Amino acid sequence: MTPQPEPPPAAEAAAGVSLEEAALIRAARNGDQEAFERLVRLYDRSVLGLALNLLRSPEDAQEVYQEAFLRVYKNLHLFRADSNFHTWLYRIVTNVALDYLRKRKVRREAAAAAETPEGERDRLEGVPEPRALGDPQRALLNRELACRLEGALESLTARERLVFELRHYQGLRLRAIGQMLGASEEAAKTCLFRATRKMRAALRDFV
Amino acid sequence: MNCETVQRDLPLFLYGELSLEDEQALQDHVEACAACRLALEGERRLHAALEARALEPSAELLAACRRRLSLSLRAAERPAGRMARLAAWLGMRAGGPRLPARAAAAAALVALGFFGARWSGGPSGLPAREGPAESQGARIRFLEPDPAGRVRIALEEVRRRVITGRPEEDRVQRLLLAASREAADPGLRAESLELLRGGAGQPGVRRALLEALEHDPNPGVRMKALEALRPFAAEVEVRQALARVLLADANPGLRVQAIDLLTQQGGREAFIGLLQELLNREENSYVRLRCRRALEELNASVGTF
Repeated sequence: MTPQPEPPPAAEAAAGVSLEEAALIRAARNGDQEAFERLVRLYDRSVLGLALNLLRSPEDAQEVYQEAFLRVYKNLHLFRADSNFHTWLYRIVTNVALDYLRKRKVRREAAAAAETPEGERDRLEGVPEPRALGDPQRALLNRELACRLEGALESLTARERLVFELRHYQGLRLRAIGQMLGASEEAAKTCLFRATRKMRAALRDFV
Repeated sequence: MNCETVQRDLPLFLYGELSLEDEQALQDHVEACAACRLALEGERRLHAALEARALEPSAELLAACRRRLSLSLRAAERPAGRMARLAAWLGMRAGGPRLPARAAAAAALVALGFFGARWSGGPSGLPAREGPAESQGARIRFLEPDPAGRVRIALEEVRRRVITGRPEEDRVQRLLLAASREAADPGLRAESLELLRGGAGQPGVRRALLEALEHDPNPGVRMKALEALRPFAAEVEVRQALARVLLADANPGLRVQAIDLLTQQGGREAFIGLLQELLNREENSYVRLRCRRALEELNASVGTF
């Protein structure tokens, strides 16, 4: 594989890459592991947050974190320095997360099918405690609502779920989400519409 | 804007994804339409419920992820970069396991020793190295039992000769080179290399020294080769061999010597990546210490390896 020539600083500036980030990317591309780890630290909290909210399991979130950043490390030489690193990174993260969500959905459906004779499993099992918030919100989130909410999110396709998480919890614009998923802004918007419609339907009696 | 469009666009409104015109039109509609006002309230409650279920990764989880990633990175193959280029220059794979060839050689020696001991010790219980062939400088070529219960043994004997001369003489040097490669006794190989030192500037002797440095199974012999090569440590082929010793030799003493030789010469900055790689994988604390010192002297990062 032929290493790409280093871009001029102007290209990095045009791509909105900070000087520190650009320097870290350059060093990491040259095999500097310490620089790569510093680069990771610029983004890993939000990546882990995305994985945790998507998968609702610290163990699964850790798997996605690990797999995503190892892929980033192995493919860093393919990153075009005149493009946006955050978008490029999240494209990898969302791919890993989508794969993981799809595989897990298949596993869970198989498990649920096996459980039917004994009745429906408790969806709240393994659902982590929500973070501490003010009383009004805590009161709102009673056990039944939480159960319905998790059920509604589980009913989304992996892609709908991901778009919803990126928009709602990560605060990313639909245009950026489209770019990360290799789709248009319109496609991301349609995904979001479908996701919110399904959730509204599932929570009709509560909200 | 009708009710259907408004209720479809409510999430976009709350996320701030509508254009200014559409946002204004939606607000105007909601103010005038009770059903859509209710729908907007419902959407807000949904958002609040979703907000309450948000999870923040704990500091412990984040730290665990970082630790695990760091460990995996050390084990992972590096992307094209300085180490890869250095590895290509060295003619080896930088991330490869230590000592595959030497481990195989060691295993072969153990196996040879095992079978050799079985053969020479034999059922008679004679200790090893007392078999007739070895002790008398002869090889058994043929065995034939006869009907009377005796055996005919054909021996091929090697006649011993003594040759005297100066080490730099062609005939003597050829024999010393052969001994440095082929003698079974490591003491003989080391002594041959010592005698060859004076001719280390000659290509044939240099090749033998480099070969012994990298491939002789005995660390004492390898050290002897390294000593003989010391005056030539600035030369490219010697530096390449020393770099491979640094990454692949099983003997810590040799690795330390290699660090010293590589960092005492000009162009030592080229080995920063190699030293950092060594610091990553080195298990011997003294070698790590020397490596760290060398990096510090070069003002290079030892970082979080």
